[in-house]
Amino acid sequence: MEWLMDQLVQTFVTDDRWRYFARGVATTLEVTCLALVLGTIIGVLVAVVRSAHDSQRGNKKGLGHAVLGVLDWVCKLYLTVIRGTPSTVQLLIMWFIVFQWARDNMMLWVASLSFGINSGAYVAEIVRSGIMSIDLGQTEAGRSLGLNYVQTMRYIVIPQAIKNILPALGNELITLLKETSVCGFIGLADLTKGAMIVQSRTYAPYMPYISIAVIYLVLVLALTGLLNLLERRLRASDRR
Amino acid sequence: MIDVKNLTKSFGGHKVLAGINEHIFKGEKVAVIGPSGSGKSTFLRCLNLLERPTGGTITFEGVDITDPKTDINRLRSRMGMVFQQFNLFPHLSVLENIRLAPVKLKRMDKDQAGEKALELLRRVGLPDKADAYPKQLSGGQQQRIAIARALAMNPDVMLFDEPTSALDPEMVGEVLEIMKELAQEGMTMVVVTHEMGFARSVATRVLFMDQGDIAEQGKPEDFFGSPQNPRLREFLSKVL
Repeated sequence: MEWLMDQLVQTFVTDDRWRYFARGVATTLEVTCLALVLGTIIGVLVAVVRSAHDSQRGNKKGLGHAVLGVLDWVCKLYLTVIRGTPSTVQLLIMWFIVFQWARDNMMLWVASLSFGINSGAYVAEIVRSGIMSIDLGQTEAGRSLGLNYVQTMRYIVIPQAIKNILPALGNELITLLKETSVCGFIGLADLTKGAMIVQSRTYAPYMPYISIAVIYLVLVLALTGLLNLLERRLRASDRR
Repeated sequence: MIDVKNLTKSFGGHKVLAGINEHIFKGEKVAVIGPSGSGKSTFLRCLNLLERPTGGTITFEGVDITDPKTDINRLRSRMGMVFQQFNLFPHLSVLENIRLAPVKLKRMDKDQAGEKALELLRRVGLPDKADAYPKQLSGGQQQRIAIARALAMNPDVMLFDEPTSALDPEMVGEVLEIMKELAQEGMTMVVVTHEMGFARSVATRVLFMDQGDIAEQGKPEDFFGSPQNPRLREFLSKVL
């Protein structure tokens, strides 16, 4: 009991060490949220390009098709490279090579960019599966009314697809949150890095690491709760 | 109004349309009948380019729609289409289903389009369903709303792809009734159908399609009264 109190004081109270954890949580959440937004934008764009290209089969004429072919090739290359390499390595390359001129106060942005690009590849395939899950008749109905491909996607297909892929997207979000724990590799003081700093001061690993494990778990549980709520609200239109 | 010259369509090596020549005049109500697999739906779907023809030309109101440079979206907005499976947008209310295209294509503002949608709902006999969702409605009601949705764009011609084939028998009448009224108001209509009664009483001309070509056509009284083509005679003896 005394040992536990001692550890608690050492880890959190002495020198106001709780601040490492508090700032760490904030940084982790910031990187996750920024990466989520960027990943979603990239993911939807890539998914729409890939679906548009796939739906063009049998009509291989014209400039539009050529442009789409190039875009599709770029998207496939992106998916292959990003899904084929570890996110940690991508982060290291991003910070130490691509943005080697960047200052330390841009670290958070570079990390978010790196994780956003990484997440986008997974979101793209999830969104594409969602688009494919919607009956072709929906697209045909939209197009027959005179809407163009992008309008049909935006107002008709994607709103329905999102509902179907929400569980998979939630999964990706949780993975993303946990994956940001490698931010310390480039020196960004996220939650995990905070715990490592504290351990390097106290030489006591138990409390810092068990604590952040609990914090990550609580964050994930909170996210899961939010996602369930969102899913229930979106499903409401099915029961009407 | 619609001029079809030497229209062919193949799926892979399978020839579905074998070179159709046809002209549909303004105000005509053309019924297209024939055994399944004869190409009648493909023919209809080529008229608004939901299927891209393999060869031949289709001219709509003086514009060659098979020319890749033609703005197909603008032309499609002048051709209403009603599908066998209704294809209403399940995530939108009935009112939103009807006004989506006019609003997004900037033909009307939201209020105008809403007024127009309510007027159309009265016309198809469902004024109290504006706030309902497609899933809450019977097949017959859904199809009547699909007709209203197509009419919201003020099309010059209406294409019907087996509009009653997915309906329970007791709901066929209500949909045919709406179509009959539409015909009486002077709308140009092309209807792929198995409803011989409708073809006989409403159509001004009937086409019989067989093996990807129009095998016989004529005014309904001649067409049904004294069919010449042996395949048509055989077909009629089976369905009448």
